[in-house]
Amino acid sequence: MEYVNPEGLRLDGRRPMEMRQLRAEIGAVSGADGSAMFEMGNTKVIAAVYGPREVQHRSQMVNDKALIRCEYTMANFSTGDRTRKPKGDRRSTEISLVIRQTMEACILTHLMPRSQIDIFVQVLQADGGKRKILISHSKHLICYASQLLFTFFSGTRSACINAATLALADAGIPMRDLVTSCSSGYLNSTPLLDLNYVEDSAGGPDVTMDAKLPMDIFENVMQLATEGCKAVANYIREVRNLILVLFQAIRFEKVAIVWFLLMENQVCGERCRRRDVINHLPSYLLFGLNFRRFRAVTVGV
Amino acid sequence: MEAKPSSNLSSKFVDQVVVPGDVILDLSSMANQTIKLGGGLRQDGDSISVMKAGTLRFTKPNKYWVESSHKRYVPCAGDNVLGVVVDTKPENFLVDIRGPALAFLPVLAFEGGTRRNIPKFEVGTLLYVRVVNANTGMNPELSCMDASGKAAEYGVLKEGYMFESSTGLSRMLLSSPPYPVLEALGKKLSFEIAVGINGCFWVNASQSSTVILVGNAIQKSESLSMVQQKIYLEKLLKSIQ
Repeated sequence: MEYVNPEGLRLDGRRPMEMRQLRAEIGAVSGADGSAMFEMGNTKVIAAVYGPREVQHRSQMVNDKALIRCEYTMANFSTGDRTRKPKGDRRSTEISLVIRQTMEACILTHLMPRSQIDIFVQVLQADGGKRKILISHSKHLICYASQLLFTFFSGTRSACINAATLALADAGIPMRDLVTSCSSGYLNSTPLLDLNYVEDSAGGPDVTMDAKLPMDIFENVMQLATEGCKAVANYIREVRNLILVLFQAIRFEKVAIVWFLLMENQVCGERCRRRDVINHLPSYLLFGLNFRRFRAVTVGV
Repeated sequence: MEAKPSSNLSSKFVDQVVVPGDVILDLSSMANQTIKLGGGLRQDGDSISVMKAGTLRFTKPNKYWVESSHKRYVPCAGDNVLGVVVDTKPENFLVDIRGPALAFLPVLAFEGGTRRNIPKFEVGTLLYVRVVNANTGMNPELSCMDASGKAAEYGVLKEGYMFESSTGLSRMLLSSPPYPVLEALGKKLSFEIAVGINGCFWVNASQSSTVILVGNAIQKSESLSMVQQKIYLEKLLKSIQ
């Protein structure tokens, strides 16, 4: 199968170095201490954070640091075939573990001893998948590079980690840094950034898998994933930025800016109405703007 | 390029939005200077980095902190908070102050408190209390006295209703000059309000309709701009006359 056509475009029309569209929203779950919704292309994930709170089971309490718990679930309607998925199957247990370990490395757990932080991640929409996505036994890589913690995962897992980071930032939990995640792979002798479902299930080497890949190409692919992570981190920064800028604007009566933002929203075909946004601002902070427009708006402010 | 020796300490991030991991100050370029760090900042070797998302604030001469609004409260000594009694023990009352752990209110921490006259609080009693001790790894300790041992305004809040919001709104309600919404409501209606920095506020009035009106107006005003607040309040106050 041809994953990159002679013109250098991928199956979904992206270039090899191009990411899928990112979209994020914070405060998506009103009952949680922090929550976020994160979209990467057709993958849509919601994350909710509760805590730090008292440890529920005394036996699990850690005396010198916080206990981090993570639960990953996939909604029944998230994939093409609507099947009842048993809770706690191997796949979701593995992903829960991966998210938990990643976040444990990032949260300053020693500041909140004898407490518990719960992270709930739910996949609302998994990219196109009609079959179960095959997950190989992966070694997850965490490297400290240029002040940011990067992790490399494929498909939905990237979106899950990004959503969890944003939710933790919203909850105000002390963190070393923002963890961001992005996948990259190597198909048709081209390094590809941010694989979609079809590319992911093509069986090519993926930085999370231990398939055979020459060292120099691996470095290229790794470099690409790193760049992708940086892009995601920038985006997350801007989501936080924009929301706070909005609040400041409101406080200083710079209403014009708010309108400008909303106009942009409409240009992008947002579904929320202007009146709704004005009335319920915090719950409707939807920014369906793509990356470039987003930039333009922040510069305008 | 040579780094310019800065005469003042302020970082270029001041009043900007910061996210975890941002390095706001490099200590290696500053010698013989003292800086004070508030919430949301930490020292990592030679650099001061951010650990909570929010706005970086700075006051002269040397204080830095990150200001943000959260749903969960982190106890800090000296804060005045609203709490609900959850359990009574022989030595302490257990009080929920919406923090990471339940707080202890010693039964003797009342004005003129002795073993003889221990107050009787039922589960669910709402209290206005002061945080005395808040160390990590320990339950915070509360008191119903001010520093000089007087009851001051602390104690049980009878009747009325407690509303929950964010810590940011609480700070706005307590700010000076007074929060415009509160001022405008106070001109037309008579009510009593107690604000805890833990994101709770209690409202009491002679009529329960006033309590609901004031509570809702304050909760809704958090997301409105100054102009919108004005319009909203005008409409609201006209409708009740």
